[in-house]
Amino acid sequence: MNCEVAHERIVTSAYGELPDEQAHELERHMTGCPDCSTEREQMLALKVLMDADPVIDPGPNLIARSRLRLEEALDALPPQRWYERLEQRLRNNFAGMRAAPVAACLLLAVGVGAGGFGGYRLALKQTVQSPGGAAAIPVNAKASLQTADTPQLSNVTTISSIVRQPNSNIVEVRFSQLVPERVQGSLDDPAIRQLLMLASENGASPGLRDDSVGLLAAECRAAHGCQGVGIRNALMVALRYDRDASVRRKALEGLRPYVAQDIRVRNAVLEALLYDSDPQIRTASINMLEPVEADTSVRQVLYAVANSDNNPQIRNVSRQVLSRVPEIQ
Amino acid sequence: MGGTNRDGTSRGRDRLQERVPEVELIREAQAGSRSAFDALVRQYEHQVLRLALHLTGSEHDAEDIYQEAFLKAYRYIGNFRFECSFYTWIYRIVTNLCLDQLRRRKTRREDRSVVMDHSGEEIDLLASVSDERSYSNPAKELDRKQLGEKIQAALSKLTPRERMVFELKHYQGLRLRTIGELLNTTEETAKNTLFRATKKLRAQLAELR
Repeated sequence: MNCEVAHERIVTSAYGELPDEQAHELERHMTGCPDCSTEREQMLALKVLMDADPVIDPGPNLIARSRLRLEEALDALPPQRWYERLEQRLRNNFAGMRAAPVAACLLLAVGVGAGGFGGYRLALKQTVQSPGGAAAIPVNAKASLQTADTPQLSNVTTISSIVRQPNSNIVEVRFSQLVPERVQGSLDDPAIRQLLMLASENGASPGLRDDSVGLLAAECRAAHGCQGVGIRNALMVALRYDRDASVRRKALEGLRPYVAQDIRVRNAVLEALLYDSDPQIRTASINMLEPVEADTSVRQVLYAVANSDNNPQIRNVSRQVLSRVPEIQ
Repeated sequence: MGGTNRDGTSRGRDRLQERVPEVELIREAQAGSRSAFDALVRQYEHQVLRLALHLTGSEHDAEDIYQEAFLKAYRYIGNFRFECSFYTWIYRIVTNLCLDQLRRRKTRREDRSVVMDHSGEEIDLLASVSDERSYSNPAKELDRKQLGEKIQAALSKLTPRERMVFELKHYQGLRLRTIGELLNTTEETAKNTLFRATKKLRAQLAELR
């Protein structure tokens, strides 16, 4: 190690961020380098000096004033209209497709086109166009409209107005409709993957989330295109937050190949070991913790669990892993 | 990481229980629930104000940053995709606002040892740092005030980014990896920025050591 590198590491070490093996190297270097030893003393002195500018906690008056001002500003915001909420929801859904813009645009075009075509056919078949462009339905045709077009009516999200034309049995109804879509493709298709990732977070039922996480996890275990962070992130979110233990179990299995190489995955697995409510998931987490050089967090967590966990089986499994301590540096 | 006793493990379980409600709060806030958003604000407002107050030295400016940050959060919470923690997301908004503030104030000299309260009255921070010995020492108080001024002058010589990294690391105690995420850069870049900042500060404050 030369002094230039040592100077950089002295700063990192002063803030407790130097990995153990680099700290050891640095100590060895400073034993034989008085200049770098002086450098470290000066760095530590700077830290003490800078603490003469204290961080003041905000007082209760400041907090209260800030809160009040924020509440007034939020109260003054106009409420969102239904089409703004719908636009926001669509934007949220398509925000997840930023990694596959071409596929996302195609999907959007297909969806809009299909929805427009479906609406046009419905309008031709069922309605008399009024000059205002709204759907004008004869009152006595309401029943036949419902029975003939139940799938479309079940997709109606909002009825915004109903106006009966004077002196007639014509009623004008303005409504909005969601058009369900279906897409089919290979698991390698980025668009399919994006939809699976959406389903893993927003699936209407645990079964749907279970299926999507299961498919994504299988892809990762087979090392099919999990190098990017999108699928790994989706699995980590499922592991941390999904309420269904089966979903979390599958997410954990999908992350297995990345425990050693990705510290975020390792942290997620450590959190699962500490905090998950399912003992099977916790046991699986322990078995997944491979020896990781210089990661003392793994050892610390295993010690804590081996000494103090409420579950005797978890304690035993942790002790067994710790008995392989020479492999965990 | 990890507890060291049974109480630590049960605290860990409590943390899991706390995390689940935060996810629910976020989802409810995304669905338009104002009370859910207010609960999120209460969880993070202290840290936001603490950072803004120390960086700007002004209660008024700290309030402005608080206001802007949470209004932005309210407006864009629908875009939050759980790809990072909510803590990182909100802190990212705050650090960007603080960076903008630092850039605007770069040419202004600030006496940071003095904080402005909401009515414009000055509060001398260093005068409020009490000397625990039983007797007062005016000379020492003066020295401390002058030291504070020199520290502020040295901090003002840093670039906004260097100042931000130093603030987040030294004063707020965040990890370099987190700082990298907040500033949309890598841990390595944050580390190099911290190194440059400390080097500049040592050069500026050399006479005091």
